This record gives sequence, structure tokens and C-alpha cells, in this order.
Amino acid sequence: MLPALRRCRPGPVPLPALAAALGPGAFPGLGPGPFPGLCPAWSPRAVPARGRKTRHDPPAKSKAGRVKLPPPVDPEELLVVLERYRQHRLVLSALRAEFRAEVLQRKREERLAAEGSVEELEEHRRLMAWNEEENARQRARREERLRKEEEEQKRRKLEIAEKQARKMEAFLEEKEKEVLQLQEEAKNFITPENLEARIEECLDNPRNYNFAIDKDGRIVKRTVLS
Amino acid sequence: MPMKGRFPVRRTLQYLSQGDVVFKSSVKVMTVNYNTAGELSEGARKFVFFNIPQIQYRNPWVQIMLFRNMTPSPFLRFYLDSGEQVLVDVEDKTNKEITEHIKKILGKSKEMLEKEERERKKLSHPATFGPKKYHLRECMCEIEGQVPCPAFVPLPKEMRGKYKAAMKNEA
Repeated sequence: MLPALRRCRPGPVPLPALAAALGPGAFPGLGPGPFPGLCPAWSPRAVPARGRKTRHDPPAKSKAGRVKLPPPVDPEELLVVLERYRQHRLVLSALRAEFRAEVLQRKREERLAAEGSVEELEEHRRLMAWNEEENARQRARREERLRKEEEEQKRRKLEIAEKQARKMEAFLEEKEKEVLQLQEEAKNFITPENLEARIEECLDNPRNYNFAIDKDGRIVKRTVLS
Repeated sequence: MPMKGRFPVRRTLQYLSQGDVVFKSSVKVMTVNYNTAGELSEGARKFVFFNIPQIQYRNPWVQIMLFRNMTPSPFLRFYLDSGEQVLVDVEDKTNKEITEHIKKILGKSKEMLEKEERERKKLSHPATFGPKKYHLRECMCEIEGQVPCPAFVPLPKEMRGKYKAAMKNEA
């Protein structure tokens, strides 16, 4: 059953001798209870301590016949004490659980009260509305910007088209002028028909291409042709 | 060697604790959509670069996600625990304006923060001493006006046990 009950030993207990040996204050609870079979060598004051030797050193010769026995136990007293401890601990843990639950409950209520209050919701809604307005303003600004950009682009396109048109016109004019000029010159061209006439003409009218120039840069074209 | 990145000041505790945006407990997720190029996203980029570390430091339980080059215009989106989504358009805004905006709509006000601070202070008593985790001082000898630690300043001999025992033996 209980492992402590194993320590109950048969045999007389030299109680008065023990009490005398260890002093009046040693056994406050061990009055009429101690079971027979106490071993005087195991006093409550001697606690095992390592001290000088390690666990691998052999024990001393004086300890050769030593018999170590666990402390004796009275079964009725044991049962009574265990039962009392059990009830005590049960009550204590129940109290603790109760207090813990109460504290948690209070914290939860406080949190809920702080969050779900009406003013908070109102405030939240107001802030969300303000956010919406801000977004709307941003949208308006963005549309404005996009509209301006579109206009700008259209204007630029128009400009480019105009410039292109003007360039085309100028080009065409140039070409027209050239064509007219060519037509004009064509009148003075030398063709196989008037080749002979033109040669005669050139030979009849000798042209003097010579000219004289002095150091001051004055050109004299009227020179003697030889 | 200890400085990493383009603006290592962002990694200092002083900079991080200067962030003043503390979100309400209903904010769970913050999502930022922005573009890596373009004049209009400049404010959002600066916000992500400079202010998000501060916000995350002050709100370690808020999930922050960044999406790059997914939409033509930048915006922020907050997901609250009631399922509500709050959209904030940040095109053409500076990062300071963005922080002011979100502080106004979803941040805890200064009074609330101060109240919480006071509540937290009430829990611990500054005069007690004990383990460093729970108290300011560990031993009585650290408190001003008390007997200093005998490890640094020897006790006067009248307070020492060996003197008192010697006196008793004499008497």
C-alpha cells in the first residue's frame, strides 16, 4: 500500500532511553506513536554528507557492522497525518484556483470594457470616415493630375503634328522652287539642235576670264586678251 | 565593422524607440504596396525604408508585409481583428505625412499610452529589491542611505560577528 508503511518494524521501542538520549525537544510529535523497532544509530540529527571522501573511497573500518535503517513509522499516525495533509492541500489548491479564476475574469472584463465601449466605437467610425475623406481628396488630386497630364500630352502631339506639317510645306516649296529654276535654266541648255549655233556664238564672242589683282586686293577685270 | 547597410542608424535602439506610432490592439496586419521606381512612390519608399523598422519595434505583434511593383499606385492596407480593412492611399505623400496619417487613424493616443505606462508602473514597487528580473536593485547594500556592501567597504568592527563574539567571551 503506502511505501512508508514498509518502514514499520516489529519489536520493542526503547522510547524513554531514546527520549533521554536525544533531549526533550527532539520528538515533539513522536510521543506514544512510534512503532517498535527503532534503531538508535539513526538519529534525526545525523544527515549524510560527503565530506572528505568521494563515493569511490571504501567506508571506514568503524562502520563495518553498521546497519542503516529508515525512520520508523506508526501506521495509524501516518494515515491520520496523510489524510490531514491531503485535505489541507486540497483546500489550498482550490482556493488558489478560485483566486486565479477571479483575477482572470476581472482582467477580461476590464479589457472588454475598454475595447467595446461606445465612445471608442464612435471614435473609430469617425476616424475611418476621416480616412475615407482623405482618400477621396487624394483621388481628386490624382484625377486632376492625370487630366493635366493627358492635356499636356495632347498639346504636345498637336504641336508635333503642326511642326511636321510646316516642315512638309517648306520642303515642298523648296522643291517647287528648284523645279522652276531648272525649268528656267532648261531654256539655256545646249541641245544637239542648237549645238552648232552655240559653238559659232562662242567662237564669235571670245570671253576674257583673265583678271589682275594687286596686293591691296583690288581686282582688275579689264585686261588685254591675246 | 559594426555598421551594416546604407543607413546604419536605423538599427540603433535609440532610433527605433523614437518611433511614436503604437497601433491599437485591434490592428493585426499591415500591408504596404509600393513601387521601386517613380516619383509618386517616393514617399512610400522612404516610409518603408525609414519608418517601418520603428513601427515594427513598437508593435512586435503586428504582421507587416511589403509588396513591390504590383500596382500602379502605392497604398497601405490595415486588417483589423473585426475583419475590417482600412485602405490608405499614399500616392504623392511624404513619409512624414504618411506616419502622421496612420498615427491619427489607427494609433494609440498619447493619453492612452501614458495611462498604460502608469498602469504598468503600478504593478511593480520601485522600493523593493530582489532578482534583477523583477526589481531594480538586487541587494539592500545597493540602496542609497543603507550600509554599503561589505565586499567593497569593510564593516565597522562593532557590527562584525567575530568582534561581538570576542566581546561576549571576554565578558
